Amino acid sequence: MDLSLNVNGRPEQFSAPPNELLVERLRDGLGLTGTKVGCDTGQCGTCVVRIDGRSVKSCLVLTASAAGSRVTTIEGVTTLGGELTGLQEALREEHGTQCGFCTPGMVMALGELVDNTAGREAPTEPEIREWLTGNLCRCTGYHSVVRGVQRACSAARAGESAATAPGQEV
Amino acid sequence: MTAVTGESALQGNGVLGQPLDIREDPQLLRGEATYVADIDLPGTAHMAILGSPVAHARILSIDTKAAQELPGVLKVATAADFTDVMPLPCIWIPGGVESHFPPHPYGLPGARPVLTGDSVRHVGDPIAVVVAETPRQAAAALAAITVEYEPLPVVTRADEALAEGAPQLHEAVPGNLNAYWTCGDKDRTDAAIAEAEVTVELDLVNQRTINSPIEPRGAVGDYNAATDEYTLYASTQGPHNHRFLLAALVLGIPFNKLRVIAPTVGGSFGTKGYLYPDMALVLLLSKALGRPVKWVDTRTGLMNSTVQGRDHRQHVTLAGTRDGRITAVRATSYANLGAYPSTIGPGVATALMGRSISGMYDIPAAFCEVYAAFTNTVSLGAQRGSGRAEAAFLMERLVDRYAFEIGMDPAAVRRKNLVPKEKFPYDNGLGWTYDSGDYRLNFDRAIELSGYADMPARKTEARTRGKRLGVGIASYVAICGVGPSTRMSKEGMLGGTWESANIRVHPTGEVTVTVGSASTGQSHATVFAQVAADELGIDPAQVQVLEGDTQKAPYGQGTYGSRSYSMAAPAVALTARKLKAKLVKAGAVFLGVPEDKVVYEGGGVHEEGNEENAKTFAELAMAMWYGWGLPPEIEPALDETTHFDPPDFNYPFGTHVAVVEIDELTGETEVVAYTAVDDAGNIGNPKIVRGQIEGSIVHGLGQALMEAAEYDEDGLLISSDLNHYALPRAADVPFFTLDKTTTPSPHNPLGAKGAGEIATVPPAAAVVNAVVDALGDLGVRHIDMPLTPEKVWRHLRGEAQ
Repeated sequence: MDLSLNVNGRPEQFSAPPNELLVERLRDGLGLTGTKVGCDTGQCGTCVVRIDGRSVKSCLVLTASAAGSRVTTIEGVTTLGGELTGLQEALREEHGTQCGFCTPGMVMALGELVDNTAGREAPTEPEIREWLTGNLCRCTGYHSVVRGVQRACSAARAGESAATAPGQEV
Repeated sequence: MTAVTGESALQGNGVLGQPLDIREDPQLLRGEATYVADIDLPGTAHMAILGSPVAHARILSIDTKAAQELPGVLKVATAADFTDVMPLPCIWIPGGVESHFPPHPYGLPGARPVLTGDSVRHVGDPIAVVVAETPRQAAAALAAITVEYEPLPVVTRADEALAEGAPQLHEAVPGNLNAYWTCGDKDRTDAAIAEAEVTVELDLVNQRTINSPIEPRGAVGDYNAATDEYTLYASTQGPHNHRFLLAALVLGIPFNKLRVIAPTVGGSFGTKGYLYPDMALVLLLSKALGRPVKWVDTRTGLMNSTVQGRDHRQHVTLAGTRDGRITAVRATSYANLGAYPSTIGPGVATALMGRSISGMYDIPAAFCEVYAAFTNTVSLGAQRGSGRAEAAFLMERLVDRYAFEIGMDPAAVRRKNLVPKEKFPYDNGLGWTYDSGDYRLNFDRAIELSGYADMPARKTEARTRGKRLGVGIASYVAICGVGPSTRMSKEGMLGGTWESANIRVHPTGEVTVTVGSASTGQSHATVFAQVAADELGIDPAQVQVLEGDTQKAPYGQGTYGSRSYSMAAPAVALTARKLKAKLVKAGAVFLGVPEDKVVYEGGGVHEEGNEENAKTFAELAMAMWYGWGLPPEIEPALDETTHFDPPDFNYPFGTHVAVVEIDELTGETEVVAYTAVDDAGNIGNPKIVRGQIEGSIVHGLGQALMEAAEYDEDGLLISSDLNHYALPRAADVPFFTLDKTTTPSPHNPLGAKGAGEIATVPPAAAVVNAVVDALGDLGVRHIDMPLTPEKVWRHLRGEAQ
């Protein structure tokens, strides 16, 4: 079927089989390999992208059902080698990544949490941990990630744009 | 900055040991790193593997015709297509009574064929492969392959596999016994137990768990017909080892015709150091088809094919006096090796566990025996803390059981039996000689930091909230730094276990460090740059670190057993010292002064007492590049290599304290506080090590509370996806209280000890001790892991006694 998507601000038009998963379109069709695949059952969270601003596991979405929406992948968060967002910078400062395989999915999922924090009460530690339960990490034990989010949220609360690069829309 | 002269120029500039930011992180945070699944060579075809759906059967026939005719299918292959390929070998043969399958033409024990032709021995046992234009086409063709099986009886437990009349897995292995292995002094231990004032015994199940790196394994084979050269891209912990095993022992091709490249690897925890059929298959099929062939595993595929961990059934005994002095420990263990011996699985299940059982304690008599058996399950291998975690679990459970029996505080019993500081180096009587330690300092720090003295009051308070609070201690010693090659040969390891580094100083003063190790997420580039920069007295930003490509890196063994910082980093340091020594010699020429008047400082040299007469690091680099004016005994250029083989292992240790609360209504166990004081010797970058300690503890908590590879009676792995295999998630753990003690190892020039996995060793024991403490007044003396709410709830109700 002929479909169109807006991916990282670029309109994309293609033909895809009706059973194609969004993650397959992103990785195999569009070459956006920053989005990962770590399981077959929607458990690991390495494939999280944002669809119209919401963080979503792209292995649980058919390409066809995402048609017409705005999709942001990790490649849309920063440019290649570009300056880190506030969230990424906070995660860097706390070393919230080791092997890095879960990291793009974490950044995409947490981006929504941090964006929602701007101008509001920062999420509590249990709230951050709860938000993170959709993403598995085997290296860090999550501690450095949680600390990174706390750091990013306090920055976001102070009005800095943490998850999103200046002027960028997700 | 300390100025030092001549060959004694050993002190660094202080960047080592600092929590520098991790240089790998920005790329990872931007999603820019290339993992094996992200490699897309032009013309790539995709491979899928047909694993057996049954655990034990004779293969009567395989019909691939229908699959071959499906759209996009390029090739379907079975064992019959690979009769000239040697079996994958097993290279750690721990000794004792040995039998293996199938025999390897070089007289090695064979681990398994690349594809199974006669019988399948576990669910997932690879039978056939399909290569197609797309991954979906390859997967679809698997379903069109028809295999006729004659079912055979199944056994999934090691103890049952050794029983009379048990199903037999391999004709060459009567009774399914791969090895009967022992260490320690049996007679002395038996006598001490017979004479003891007090003995306690436990039957333990250290359940099988699945390592579960978040990146599944994958491999890309690329054969170049023009040069007859093969390239393998694989998620591997040890590219040089895989090159050796594949070229020499499986494919039978010249060593210099195979290049192995590890791209960014998404975690491993032991699994990716093993040799798997897929690695050979992508190379063979790439040659057959004249195209790159790529294979990436699924999660369920990983769970049915990648090595699993732990899996011991044990009967353990501790003897002691009424006043708390431990006099003997004895363990009998049935280790489940799975269907085939994995690359080093038999050694993990025997020596790494058995020689470690006495832990931090000074015990006069100890003995361990292991029956390692084949069963219809996935092969056993290493898992973060492998062997040592199983040892600590049995010892620390026994100590608590003993303390309860004699009515002493478990902390007091431990403290009384710690190996005293003055006894190092300490022979533990089981084969290890502990290098260094101040166990009492470490132990006391953990107890104090955990608020241990407040626990009785906290228990009382918790009961008012419907919670039972328990506290559990676990101490450990974790052998690391594999290792001294000759010593490992005596342990049955077929291969060198040294490590290497090369440093090349470029003419403009930048530096490239290349190591034989290969990171799977341990931030090697950051910490090895710190080592080189510290030694050379330069800015770490000047230092590039490369690894993971056999064509570029000096030979080395890879990352496993927490070895890189105590094996590869010393090689980096020693290489930097060679360069400094050379620069001092050459500096004498350039400065026109005698060698003993040359001061090496801040990366440059100057004349003692005359800082005007000096050369910077960049000036020296260029001068050495030109080589003008150098005497014959000084070679031009700055390019040195070291192969580091330590005199012995190193022995990090530590003490962890878990505090749990059990909900009296639901049986749910919550870890409410966790204190860990670990000693990894001198640490290169505390930021890296902190992350590894935290992650390791959570991995250990996973085994204690939720993880289990469950096979049903037909040998089907029920927990074969992440819906059914529980991994710890962020909401399952609290923040931890961490501290360290520092006892340098004398066995390497950095005083380093292993760190990466050590904190996985004690948490399971600490948590089970805490839960048994919380339920002790109900008569509960032990609960097997994982401590699921249902299991604990049954104990709360008195149903499980």
